[in-house]
Amino acid sequence: MPPAPLLDLDHVSIRHEGADVATPVDVSFQVARGEVVLILGPSGCGKSTLTLALDGLVPHAVPAALEGTVRVAGLDTSEHPVGVLSEHVAMVFQDPDAQIVTGTVLDEVCFAPENQLVEASEVLERAERALKLVGLWDRRAENPDTLSGGGRQRLAIACALAMAAPVLVLDEPTANLDPAGIDEVYAVLRELASERDHAVVLVEHNLDAAVDLVDRVIVLDASGRLVIDGPAREVLRERADELVALGVWLPVSTLAAMRLRDAGIVLDPLPLTPAELAEALDAQPSLPAPLSESSPVRSTALSPRPTLSIGPATGSTGAIAVIGETAIRARDLSVRRGGRRGPIVVEGVDLDVAAGDFLAIVGTNGAGKTSLLQALAGVIPAPRDTVDVLGVDPARCAARERARRIGFVFQNPEHQFIAPTVAEELAQGLHLQGVSEADAVPQVEAMLARFGLEALRDQHPFLLSGGQKRRLSVGTALIAGAPVLALDEPTFGQDRARASELLDMLRGLNDDGTTVLVVTHDLQLVADYASHIAVMDSGRLLGVGPTVEVLAGPLVEQAGLRHPPLARATRGLARHADWHSITRMSQLPVSSKGAS
Amino acid sequence: MSAAGEGGAVTPEVSATPADGSGAHAASAALDPFAEHRTQRPSRFLYALNPLAKLAAPVPVMVIVMFSRGIALPLAFIVFAAAVLLIGARLSGRAIAALLLGIPIAALVLGVTFGVWIDPSSVAGHPAASVTLISIGDWDFTLAAYLVGFATGLRILAILLLSLIAGVTSTGTEFVRSMVQNLRVPYRLGYTALAALRFVPRFGHELEIIRAAHRVRGTDVGRGPVAAVRRAVGYIVPLLASAIRHAERVALAMDARAFGAHRTRTERHFSPWRVRDTVFVACFLAVSIVIAVLTWGR
Repeated sequence: MPPAPLLDLDHVSIRHEGADVATPVDVSFQVARGEVVLILGPSGCGKSTLTLALDGLVPHAVPAALEGTVRVAGLDTSEHPVGVLSEHVAMVFQDPDAQIVTGTVLDEVCFAPENQLVEASEVLERAERALKLVGLWDRRAENPDTLSGGGRQRLAIACALAMAAPVLVLDEPTANLDPAGIDEVYAVLRELASERDHAVVLVEHNLDAAVDLVDRVIVLDASGRLVIDGPAREVLRERADELVALGVWLPVSTLAAMRLRDAGIVLDPLPLTPAELAEALDAQPSLPAPLSESSPVRSTALSPRPTLSIGPATGSTGAIAVIGETAIRARDLSVRRGGRRGPIVVEGVDLDVAAGDFLAIVGTNGAGKTSLLQALAGVIPAPRDTVDVLGVDPARCAARERARRIGFVFQNPEHQFIAPTVAEELAQGLHLQGVSEADAVPQVEAMLARFGLEALRDQHPFLLSGGQKRRLSVGTALIAGAPVLALDEPTFGQDRARASELLDMLRGLNDDGTTVLVVTHDLQLVADYASHIAVMDSGRLLGVGPTVEVLAGPLVEQAGLRHPPLARATRGLARHADWHSITRMSQLPVSSKGAS
Repeated sequence: MSAAGEGGAVTPEVSATPADGSGAHAASAALDPFAEHRTQRPSRFLYALNPLAKLAAPVPVMVIVMFSRGIALPLAFIVFAAAVLLIGARLSGRAIAALLLGIPIAALVLGVTFGVWIDPSSVAGHPAASVTLISIGDWDFTLAAYLVGFATGLRILAILLLSLIAGVTSTGTEFVRSMVQNLRVPYRLGYTALAALRFVPRFGHELEIIRAAHRVRGTDVGRGPVAAVRRAVGYIVPLLASAIRHAERVALAMDARAFGAHRTRTERHFSPWRVRDTVFVACFLAVSIVIAVLTWGR
């Protein structure tokens, strides 16, 4: 008789307390030692809930009802406490900060085995092994706060490894990390996967990072039912259309190949990585010329199906901004954090942003992106006469003057909410402008309609869904008529469906003439949406220019960033020199029938 | 307080001391930050003591200081506590300067700030009540009032210095460890409190962002206490929402790492109550009694 599988799920349904329907529903699968399983599914399908059931947190620690049975190394999870199950399953969660409980790296790794009453000498042996594997052994005496985001998440992995459990469950371990951090974490995971010592269950949206290390893919549909369970490469290649229809995100290279297939260029099998895409393209004897920048075709990695743009915005957008003229001007801008003696985080930046631009500020963590954006928007004070937004110094003018020119959206929309209902939240910005109650009502109604919040006007802002909160925060930033919108990391920690919804909305605003500034580290999003890129490194602005020029030049690498997946594929093409400049989905050729 | 032998019941065998390990394990134990703390600074005796001893000895003295009157007793204990700190702890140059210069200056200034609140009639019988230092209108600041304020300031400084004996020479983790091992405080309580300490800087940072976000929305228009209170109330909802969410996540992560699964947990570091701890407490209290008897009521 073969040994019992490490994980055995039999008709598992989980219903959260207060929820009407169960997600996931009726899921059955087994995982054996050595397997690396990726769980995919659209947001809200219950992937994270499912991971919580794998070590008994559902139903023991989370108020949710579990039907069916989950067996961990033969133990029924509903009959054994989390403490017992933790000897078989170790977890890594999304937010590295919410997993750290002690004062030093070494204590952190020892925490779990100490709780499990492992002997002190073995605790230290395990800690040493785990920390050496993730490359943090030399930093064991440090406070975890001194590590980067990627470092803290590697620490979380080391903590899980020190539990010596044969199953490792990771729930979106890189969603809160910058590209360097994502690379660090996947380097560790790749090593773990190659050892074949653990069974790894991974929930991840960023397939570009994960695709080359998973063996098997399990796909849930929107209602939480298991629809596909099979070998990773075959599933992603042969059922790609099905996955896209389900709302599952595929690697950018695969999406690009599907776009090309629709245009009559068939790459078979579908490539999954930039290297495979490059190889498949080089195998083609000839390729049609890429579309020029001025073509009206639009397509992004988030929504690859080509559409036609409505044409560039022209003319005036209200009384203050005129398309093409300078909206924001910064001269020799330097910013210190934490008062006069604080460290300089932005140094000597000269920047002009023209009205109607969609500018992305990119750079690694700590490059000063957010500080620059906050100084431009007057959120933190800049030295006198260094920043000009449509004729005023944003840090020194009255709040109402600033609100009429530039709106700022923080990373977490909840931070900005100040009123008890959605409608009052919007009206607040008008009251600030001295608009009377009666005049405010139609403007609030218009804004509610614009962002699809009419039915929620009396709802408390904190009770909205994530996407609704984000739309409301953008609405409050714009209601005073600001022609410039600044957003700090708007896609951070969100899944791709929400990121897509938000960025499409920003593009709509930009089409209508709003100048948009975003800070982000997702370069494929930048490539697809931004008209201009500003690259920052160590507080300095390395350069700024049109997206295509910046991505084709050396700045991205100088700033310690990696080119987006599509650019990585096209840069190395041996045969098709004219394709080297392709960095965005919209440059890929379309079929002769044209875009829809 | 439990003896060293009873502490051994918490962990079956302690092999994490550098002496009895070998190979890689010995190396890792020697580089352990907490082991380092004790082995590398043997010359400074406070580090070698159990944190509870450093707390148990000064606490009764603090009570005596609290109920004392006059200048001599708190002054004597300030000198005593400062001497223990200078001899027993490794202080930075700045800390020594603060101790030797900052404390006298603080005492003189506190004399004024407390003294002005003294009711003149309550010190009317004092011989120094006739010496007026400053007079504003019909209000006189007398030497007597200053001396009463000065004594109050000295008492506060004495209590502060006595608490520093434990404060500057042991970490939060060491305290929790001794409370769990020697006082039998449940470890679930102690280590949860330690984990909660990590929340403080996080919430401070979060509050800073929320304030900036509310400023952007234009809520900083009003001035005065009413507007300030209204603003503060506005910060509570987002701060609580994020605090609860964060606490839930931390709790899940701790559960997943078997926290609270067993009645005890392995201790890699031993925090025994040794003879030297008893000696320290006895000597400290003996000296304190002598000082108190000599200076009481002067």
